[in-house]
Amino acid sequence: MLGLSLGEKQFIKGGIAQDLRSDGRKRLTYRPISVETGIIPQASGSARVRMGATEVIASVKAELGRPSPLQPDKGKVAIYVDCSPTAEPTFEGRGGEELSTELSVALQRCLLGGKSGAGAAIDLSSLVVIEGKICWDLYIDGLVVSSDGNLLDALGAAIKAALSNTGIPRANVASGASGDGQPEVDISDEEFLQFDTSGVPVIVTLTKVGKHYIVDATAEEESQMSSAVSISVNRQGHICGLTKRGGAGLDPSIILDMISVAKHVSEQLINKLDSEIAAAEADEEES
Amino acid sequence: MEFVNPEGLRLDGRRPTELRQIRAELGAVAKADGSAVFEMGNTKVIAAVYGPREVRFEYSMANFSTGDRMRRPKGDRRSTEISLVLRQTMEACIMTHLMPRSQIDIFVQVLQADGGTRSACINAASLALADAGIPMRDLVTSCSAGYLNSTPLLDLNYVEDSAGGADVTVGIFPKLDKVTLLQMDAKLPLDIFENVMQLATEGCKAIATELREVSNLMKEINIVGEHKAIGISARGIKSYARWFRLQLCPDCCYTQFLSP
Repeated sequence: MLGLSLGEKQFIKGGIAQDLRSDGRKRLTYRPISVETGIIPQASGSARVRMGATEVIASVKAELGRPSPLQPDKGKVAIYVDCSPTAEPTFEGRGGEELSTELSVALQRCLLGGKSGAGAAIDLSSLVVIEGKICWDLYIDGLVVSSDGNLLDALGAAIKAALSNTGIPRANVASGASGDGQPEVDISDEEFLQFDTSGVPVIVTLTKVGKHYIVDATAEEESQMSSAVSISVNRQGHICGLTKRGGAGLDPSIILDMISVAKHVSEQLINKLDSEIAAAEADEEES
Repeated sequence: MEFVNPEGLRLDGRRPTELRQIRAELGAVAKADGSAVFEMGNTKVIAAVYGPREVRFEYSMANFSTGDRMRRPKGDRRSTEISLVLRQTMEACIMTHLMPRSQIDIFVQVLQADGGTRSACINAASLALADAGIPMRDLVTSCSAGYLNSTPLLDLNYVEDSAGGADVTVGIFPKLDKVTLLQMDAKLPLDIFENVMQLATEGCKAIATELREVSNLMKEINIVGEHKAIGISARGIKSYARWFRLQLCPDCCYTQFLSP
């Protein structure tokens, strides 16, 4: 994106102040969202989400591994985000690494809960096969294909869709396994356990431009922001995680206001996403 | 292991001279000047083109880059080699003398790899360049072929590729009928090599007809005299505003300059 002229910057800020953004949206309206699931057949689950010109792909791969000794009854989940240079030429080589790390950490914070494993949005105990010995490791990979602002929301939506699309193969433990050696686990090709994603939160990013906040900012609008707060909210309206970006200071009352706005917006977003995911899964089954 | 069963069918049910199913889509990355998604069976690749634009640095290391989805570090030897091969192939086909002192970036992202990634990258990059309206001598199409169980096989998938037989990758200019890329692994007797290379070249031509259909459907077709011309997308015109507008005839690559 080339630099913006002074006139363009004024236009963006003025539009936001008047509740009429450059593409005609209101401040709290999302761009059209489209979801496709099952696009990567080699993965256990995958989804592609498009929000306007922003396009991200998320894939979930399940592999067998050892549970951590601190939590022998829980599986493990790792989230990595990669910014592809197709999105921005500056992402070539190591250029996109900073952004990738920032996005990965923010997603981990929103979806995985604390160090003790408490409060994770994904039920980790459903991933264990043999307590203390074998569990499922989920590797969630996000890929930013096209970047036009609001990457965190798109990635959150893509991960939610990919998890709904994920099928963990049923692992049958061979009976008579000894206590010492590695037990035999037979992974079935036929039966799959679908993941329960009703507890997975969505992420709503509120970008403050001037005195107002907008939802789903484009790259141009993000360049004019003073600060941004990303809040992850689940279906029950509980806040699962919070990240503030940007150097400008925010009055605490404004942050509380942003949180309540985010909760309100998240209801519509969750409904829209759920209906899109259901439609995508139905399409995928037909094809 | 048997790669071609007695009835002449391969592991995935194809005949030895049959290509995998091809799917191509233009304009996948909205922000790029040109982009394309290319699928050959289970191999899926996205290419995005940015440019031509002013060179910001005096010396730029890689104009092309390849990314693999498995968690391999960027800049590993295989990626570097594929980037080099891609760059040399594209440099031969882009009319760089029409765009002095400017830089074209082509980025290719491999989403799924199931054999023939090199060829898929070249095909996707060709389409992305056409989508960006960058003047080219011809589309470049590429296909691989191998030799297993005494049969030349077209368009190897991952299993057939790892079988240890020879793997010949060919890239051609389909209209000009010139070879621009030729690589081979393992060893083959010379007469068999000629057959396999011929097979790969036929595969390239078949892919070329499919690609032309895709680019014809996506853009308007205007008839200019006896030549068909592909209209340039609005994005392409924007990046050319400083130089010229041109139209490319898909059949004979006759280039017509419309305005300075």
